Amino acid sequence: MATRADFLSRIRKEVRRTPGLFPASTAIPPDRPSEAAAAIRRQMSERWPEALERFKQEFERVSGVFHRVTHIEEVPGVIQALAREKDARELITWEPGELGLDLRPHLEPQGLSVTVAPSDAQDGARLSYREAAARAQIGVTGADFVLAETGTLILISGSGRPRSTSLLPETHITIFGKERMLETLEQVGVVLEDLHVDPTGTMSGAVINFITGPSRTADIELTLTRGVHGPKEVHAIFVESL
Amino acid sequence: MAAPVRASLFVTCLVDLFYPEVGVAIVRLLRRLGVTVDFPASQTCCGLPLFNSGYHGEAARVARRTLPLFAASEYVVVPSGSCAWMVKKEYPGLFDDEPALRKEAEALASRTYELSQFLVKILGLSRVTTNFRGKVTYHDSCHLLRGLGEAQSPRTLLKNLEGVELLELPGADECCGFGGSFSVRLPDVSTSILGKKIANIEKTGAECLVACDAGCLMQMGGGLSRKGSAVRALHLAQVLAGTDGI
Amino acid sequence: MRHLPSSLKIPFPERAGAALKDASLQEALTNATTKFIGLRKDAFASLPQGDLLRDRARAIKEATLERLDYYLEMLADNVERLGGRVHWAATGEEARDIILQLCGDRGVKTVVKSKSMATEEIELNEALEHAGVTPVETDLGEYIIQLAREKPSHIIVPAIHKTKGQVAVLFSHALKGRFAADPEVLTAVARKELRQKFLQADMGITGANFAVAETGTIVLVTNEGNGRMVTSLPRIHVALMGIEKVIPSMTDLVVFLAILARSATGQKLSVYTTLVRGPRQHGELEGPEEFHLVLMGSGRSNQISGELREALYCLRCGACLNVCPVYRQIGGHAYGYTYPGPIGILLTAMLNGDHAVKDLAHASSLCGACHEVCPVRIDIPRMLIELRQRLDRERIAPLAERGVFRVFGRVLASPTLFRLSATLGRMAQRPFVREGRLGSLPLVFGKWTKTRDLPPVASRTFSERWKELR
Repeated sequence: MATRADFLSRIRKEVRRTPGLFPASTAIPPDRPSEAAAAIRRQMSERWPEALERFKQEFERVSGVFHRVTHIEEVPGVIQALAREKDARELITWEPGELGLDLRPHLEPQGLSVTVAPSDAQDGARLSYREAAARAQIGVTGADFVLAETGTLILISGSGRPRSTSLLPETHITIFGKERMLETLEQVGVVLEDLHVDPTGTMSGAVINFITGPSRTADIELTLTRGVHGPKEVHAIFVESL
Repeated sequence: MAAPVRASLFVTCLVDLFYPEVGVAIVRLLRRLGVTVDFPASQTCCGLPLFNSGYHGEAARVARRTLPLFAASEYVVVPSGSCAWMVKKEYPGLFDDEPALRKEAEALASRTYELSQFLVKILGLSRVTTNFRGKVTYHDSCHLLRGLGEAQSPRTLLKNLEGVELLELPGADECCGFGGSFSVRLPDVSTSILGKKIANIEKTGAECLVACDAGCLMQMGGGLSRKGSAVRALHLAQVLAGTDGI
Repeated sequence: MRHLPSSLKIPFPERAGAALKDASLQEALTNATTKFIGLRKDAFASLPQGDLLRDRARAIKEATLERLDYYLEMLADNVERLGGRVHWAATGEEARDIILQLCGDRGVKTVVKSKSMATEEIELNEALEHAGVTPVETDLGEYIIQLAREKPSHIIVPAIHKTKGQVAVLFSHALKGRFAADPEVLTAVARKELRQKFLQADMGITGANFAVAETGTIVLVTNEGNGRMVTSLPRIHVALMGIEKVIPSMTDLVVFLAILARSATGQKLSVYTTLVRGPRQHGELEGPEEFHLVLMGSGRSNQISGELREALYCLRCGACLNVCPVYRQIGGHAYGYTYPGPIGILLTAMLNGDHAVKDLAHASSLCGACHEVCPVRIDIPRMLIELRQRLDRERIAPLAERGVFRVFGRVLASPTLFRLSATLGRMAQRPFVREGRLGSLPLVFGKWTKTRDLPPVASRTFSERWKELR
């Protein structure tokens, strides 16, 4: 097996052997990512209504279902209605601190089982959440960013926000507010640069997921079907008060 | 009044050998438009068939003897997108190691035009008078379309002909399957591609298929004729020259 | 179902011929490629900065190659800093051995795989099975062809050559059930079946669409969700990656994300773009305990200073396949190697050597449609001509052919010989001319006249007529 040194020196030799095909440069990251990200936040604090409107269009175009409520207190009602519609019995959610809402007191009295993500990562907790996630019909998360241009939800994994919450159940519901809005992929690039300046400070998990609608495939005769491995339906609830 | 434009005809091997009537049509057309036409003797081929198959030494030899033939030309007009492409885009590179010849090749490249480009971009024409009548459809040959970026000039000329209706060809920008030696290296695949093209041509209801490349015309004309189709395959020059070009 | 020959023992023209005669393949190819062409066109029509982004993407790939060692080193350092392990595989064989070794060391019995062309290149599944490890393809198209024991026929939709009826039969046999020939039903069957595998597997293996050097991130672009499953549920994640996939920064990444899905399927973004930074972090409930990045140099390192360097920009989007007049007629299997279509010919030369493309280098009419749609503007026709040149130089092209072209070259370079050949042609063709056409000719010319008429050499060439026109 090649060693790192041998491997890299081989490549170095090849690289040195040629001037390249044409003068080229890589993309230029922002000089000061935090400032650039802050500037985007300021911009979006004005532009969020347009961005939200665009998001709704794009999200629906990829078969997402968009909801809008005034106050966070209305959210459990929306979720309950969806649960009834889908004959769902079990839900999993991000840890209430991460979600901004504890659904248990609202939904358990209605006969729904709600498993929230534990804040610690012990083996026992891991196993029981895994089992709940495999059984649940609905998974409820927040979103770290919501991208208007493409109708995309951006979720960072980490403590209290396990990956399977938005992946295993058939229905995925996201709750978000105006502060999450971004308009363009270019802005996402700036935000990603900012997040990674000090990743251990900004992210407690290893994965950033961009989710653009429900899971799909066209592998059989190019016929579109949904819910191959991931959720069959994705719902986004915009909460004005957040 | 400005001095008449002088154009040298680079007639191309396929037109010279198989479609001389296209060459005649160009000469008559250009003269009618007030262009002085000359035909440098002892021209043969641009070398593209050799180049495309990877025989670059041989292609360079052909290019080397072609350069002086057109050294004195003000403009070089070529009835073929692929041959014009060869001269304009590939000739200079053939002489990377010979700076003097490279310069000559670059000079020739800058003075060389495919016919429709010459008419529209150099002579500034959008309208030509012809006695040709009928419904035509136009096929974009690959080298003219993608190599030289030319989709509009032939269409502009065809659209503005009185008594001629230009019907858009579905998949006009799709290859006809000629590809030079490809047509005999993989004849089944070439024929299959051609079949699709012919189906599209017949779908338009046109009486005549028009193209700016003799290779394409050989392929499509050969397929139409084998099928017993009533559709004629003509070069743009023949349509523009009309019966005057026979 | 009749299995099309992709075996290299059968000469390429025959493989192509068989594909041309397969009616259901022809229908599938026409439908799929036409659809993708339309989707891609629409997607770029709604992206005004599309051309600019493609220029930038191409420049990023070129600039990265110019300092490839530097970026690979940065990537490796960052992956290790995150607690991942980096392995260096100079050849495909080494890559296989590394992965098998890991399986052995860690007691891996089942592997779930997300779609990875790199793993197809090294024929990983066969090697795993041989070693007693069960690989399960989880991308629906790959799952289908795994059950059928076939190779993929398209980079993006590997099972495009299969009808829903064929898939239903396949599933019914493999899973001992009776399933309707309905994509919804079949998708649900696959979901249920594979869900179990995800939850039970010991190891997940993926490729990587990109690897961001500055952050140590592997990026997976998928639609089904299997990429996320495979990198979150099993205890070990292995990513196999060609070295040319590395890019410097997140700012570079979004340039590619803006155009990749549009080029491949016409989507603005694929359903899931997954950025993975190493194994699960300290406070994370889910995710693999171990992350291994296997960097593969095989075939690629040589090309950095080679004529096929530009082919290293390839994003594996499949756009060139969809527009290629040859691919559209013969499909992927006829090419015979892991990668079909225009870029496939170049990649085959890179990975398997020039002999492997003795015929494939000519499986192109050089129409340039591939160059036109490539998101990173790879000039495939130019490199196909380079390959043809190499086949001549290396005497891989048959002696007879090289002889013919030498003679041809002499004729075209000499006005005398050129005129003579016209005269000879006129004489030779006389017995064959019917109604002003040549309908049937012997020798190589017969390959033309079998299906097409040919105009005869004119009784007077243009050069001969010039006298009267002067």
